Amino acid sequence: MRATTALLLLLLTATEATGAAAPPAGELTVALSSFANEVLDPALGGHGVKFYLALMFDYLIGVTPDGRLSPELGIATAWEVSPDHRRWTFTLRRDVHFHNGDPLTSADVRFSILRAIGPRSTTGYAGVLRALLDRIETPAPDRVVIVTREPTLVIPPYLSRALATEGMILPKRYIESVGDDEFARKPIGSGPYRFVEQVTGSHVRLAAVPHHWRIGTPRYQTVTFRVIPEESTRMAMVRRGEVDIADVSRDRVREMEQAGFPVRYRDNDSLLHLWWILPWDRTPVRDRRVREALNLAIDRREIAATIFGGKAEPAAIPFGLTWAFRDVKLTVPDEWRYPFDPARARALLAEAGYRDGFPITIFAYQLPALPEGREMAEALAGYWQKIGVRPTLVPVDYPAFRKQWVDRTAPGAVGYYNLPNRDWIGTYTLLDKFAHTPSRPTDTVADPEIDRMLDAILTTTDRTKINELMRQAFARLRRDHDGIPLVYLHTPYVTSKRISRWDPGSVMLDLNIDGLVAER
Amino acid sequence: MLRFVLARLSQSAITLLLFSVVIFGLARATGDPLTLVLPMVATEEDFANARRYLGLDRPLYAQYVTFVGRAATGDFGTSIRSRRPVVELLRERLPNSLALAAFSMAVSLLIAFPLGVLAAVRRGTALDSGAKVLATLGQSLPTFWVGIVLIEVVAGRLQWLPAGGSGSLAHYILPGFTLGWFVVAGLMRLLRSAMLEVLDAEYVTTARAKGASEVSVVWRHALRNALIPVVTFAGVYFAILVTSAIVVETVFAWPGMGRLAYEAITGRDFPVIQAVVLVTAAIVVTVNFAVDLLYAVIDPRIGLAS
Repeated sequence: MRATTALLLLLLTATEATGAAAPPAGELTVALSSFANEVLDPALGGHGVKFYLALMFDYLIGVTPDGRLSPELGIATAWEVSPDHRRWTFTLRRDVHFHNGDPLTSADVRFSILRAIGPRSTTGYAGVLRALLDRIETPAPDRVVIVTREPTLVIPPYLSRALATEGMILPKRYIESVGDDEFARKPIGSGPYRFVEQVTGSHVRLAAVPHHWRIGTPRYQTVTFRVIPEESTRMAMVRRGEVDIADVSRDRVREMEQAGFPVRYRDNDSLLHLWWILPWDRTPVRDRRVREALNLAIDRREIAATIFGGKAEPAAIPFGLTWAFRDVKLTVPDEWRYPFDPARARALLAEAGYRDGFPITIFAYQLPALPEGREMAEALAGYWQKIGVRPTLVPVDYPAFRKQWVDRTAPGAVGYYNLPNRDWIGTYTLLDKFAHTPSRPTDTVADPEIDRMLDAILTTTDRTKINELMRQAFARLRRDHDGIPLVYLHTPYVTSKRISRWDPGSVMLDLNIDGLVAER
Repeated sequence: MLRFVLARLSQSAITLLLFSVVIFGLARATGDPLTLVLPMVATEEDFANARRYLGLDRPLYAQYVTFVGRAATGDFGTSIRSRRPVVELLRERLPNSLALAAFSMAVSLLIAFPLGVLAAVRRGTALDSGAKVLATLGQSLPTFWVGIVLIEVVAGRLQWLPAGGSGSLAHYILPGFTLGWFVVAGLMRLLRSAMLEVLDAEYVTTARAKGASEVSVVWRHALRNALIPVVTFAGVYFAILVTSAIVVETVFAWPGMGRLAYEAITGRDFPVIQAVVLVTAAIVVTVNFAVDLLYAVIDPRIGLAS
C-alpha cells in the first residue's frame, strides 16, 4: 500500500515536473435539439453548424470566448493593412498540418476564401466579401495578401470565428483530389478534433488529435454531437449521464436545477425583434407615432417574466445587438428604454388619427430556439387590443411567412425573429440585410439616411468613425421606432454533474466547446 | 400465371408512376426549401446560387423528367438540406427502421399470442377483461404520449433504460415497446376472435371427443387454424411499422426512415420527401403484389386470369 502511494506520488510529481498533460480520454457528448442542415462542408453550412465545425477546422482569425479577435487563436498570427486600406497582409502560423498530414499554407487560405465566395457557397455572409474582394496573393507559404476593390476595415472580422464559416481554412490538395462531394462526406481540417463519422439525424462524432496548437492536449478522446429533437429525451439522457451538455427550454430549467444539474446561460443570446413588412407607405405604421404607440403598448417586463420564465430582459433598440454595443462603445441611455404606457400609446394613436384603432396582421410561428413564438404573438395581440388596435393572428410556419415578407404581399403585417447576438461586424451584416434599402427584398426599414450610414461603414477606414456611424444608426433606428425590439433571450444549457466549469462564451452561435476540451 | 404476373407488375408500375407525379407536385406546393436551408442573412444572390446549384431554377417539367429518369435507376438525387446523395441517406436509415420494426413485431407476437389465446380460452374471466383493456389502451393511446411517459419514467426517473438513440439492444426496448403496443392490441383482438370462432368448430369438438387434452386442442388444433388471418395481418403490420414510425423515431431520436421523413418534411427537402414516399409506396406495392401472388398460389379459386 505504502509502495503504491509512493509510486503514485512519484508519477504525479514527474508529470508536474515535465508539464506533460494527461492523454485525451473519455467522451464528451453534446445533445442539441437541432443541427440546422447538418452539413460538414463549411461552404454549405453557414453559422448554424459552426459549433461542431469549429472543432474540426481552424479559422484564419481566431477569437477569444468573449468575441475579440486574437492572433493567438487563429492561423494568422499577425495582420496589417496598407496605408490605402486595400491590401491586407496576413502572417500565417507555421507547422500547422491538416489531419491527413498535409501542411497548411497560404495556398490553402487563398483556396478556402475563394471557395467560400464561389458558386457552391451558401454560407449567407459571402455577399459582402464577393463585392469587396479583388484578388488574393500568396507571396510565401506563410503569407497571404488580400486585395480589396475599396478601402475597408472589415476583412479581419469577416474572416474570423466571430462571424460564420467563411474564415475556416480547408485543405486545397485534398479537396482537389477527392472532389467537393467527397469532402462534404469526409471532411479534413486542421482543428483539434478530426472527423470520425456522421449519421444524419443522429450524430457527428469527432476524435482528438494528440496535441493541437490551439488548445494543447485535448481532454476528451472523442466529442460526439447528438441531435435529439424531443426535450424529454434530452433531459432523461442528462439524468442518466449519457449526455454532458444539452439545450433545455426555459420552462424546464427549474426542474433540472432542482434535480441538481448545473444550468449555464448564454446571456442575451438573441434579440427577439419584430418588424413590419414593407412597403409601409399606405399603412398606419408609416406614421412614427403609430410605431411608437405599438412599442409603448407592450409590457416587456411581463413578457420576460411570464412567457420566457424570467430568462429574458426588455430590449430598447431595433436591431440592438448588445455584443456590438461594447465594440462600438454604445451605452444605452435610460430614456431609450420603452416604458409600458398604454395611456400614452392610446394618445399617440389618437394624435395620428387612429382613435378607433386599425386592423393589423400578426404572423404567428415558432422558430428554432423559440418554442414560445406563438404564445408571444398571442400576448402581443392582447396588448395591442387594449389600445384599440384590432390584431388578426395568422398561424403559419416560418417559410410561409418569409415568402410574404420578401414578396411584400402583406404590407404592414408583423413578423419576428430571434436574431442571434453578435459583435459589430455581425450586426453590420445583419443591418445590411434588414435595414439597407438597396439590399431588398429582406429590407424592413425604408430610410435613405440609414442606407447612407451603412454604405459608409463598409468603406470607412477609421475605426472611431465606424463606431460613430454605428452609434448614429442605432440612435436613428430607435428614434424612428423602426421595429419592435422586444426582449433579449438568455439561452439555458443543462450540463451533467461532471462538467464543473464551462463558459459558453459570447460569440455568435458558438458554444465555446474549445473551453471544455482544452488542456488544463 | 405469367400473364397474371405481368398484369400485376404493370399495374404496380403505373401506381408508382402516378404516385411520383402526386408527390412531386405536393412536395413543391409546400414552399421554398431554401428559406430553411440558407441562413436568415442570405442574400438573393445566395438563393440564386443555391437554386442553380441544386437544379431548382429549371422548369418543373424538366425537374420531374430528371427525377423520374434517375429514380428508375435508383438515383434519387441530392438532399437539399444535407447535400448528400439521397440513396446514401436511405441506406443509412432503412436498416435501422427494419431492425426496430422487427424488434417491435417480435415483442408484439410474444405478448399477443399467449394473451390472445388465453383470452379466448378463458372468455368472460378477469384475464379476458384485462386483455381487452390492454388492447383498447394500446389502440387508443397516442404513441407520442406513451413514448414520452416511458422516457420520463423508465429512462429519466428510474434510469433503467436508455432514453433515446440507437446502439445496444437496450436502446430497442422503449421505442420497440411503444411501437409494438399498438400492434399487440390489434393482433391480440384478431387472434382472440379467430380462436373463438375456431374453438366452436366441429373438428375441435371431434378432437375433444376423441380424448385429446385441452392443451393439445387449443395449441395444436385450434391455434394452427386461427393463425391464417393473424399471419396476413402481421405481414401488413410489419410494412406499416417500417414505413410509418415517424412519431416514435422522432421522440426516441431513432435514426430511421420515419425520422428522415420528418426531417425532410419540416425542412422541405424535396428529393428526400420524394424518395421516402416512393420507397414507402414501393414497399406497400411489393407487399400487395406478393400477397396477391401468394393468394393465387394458395387458393386456385382466385382466378389468375382475372
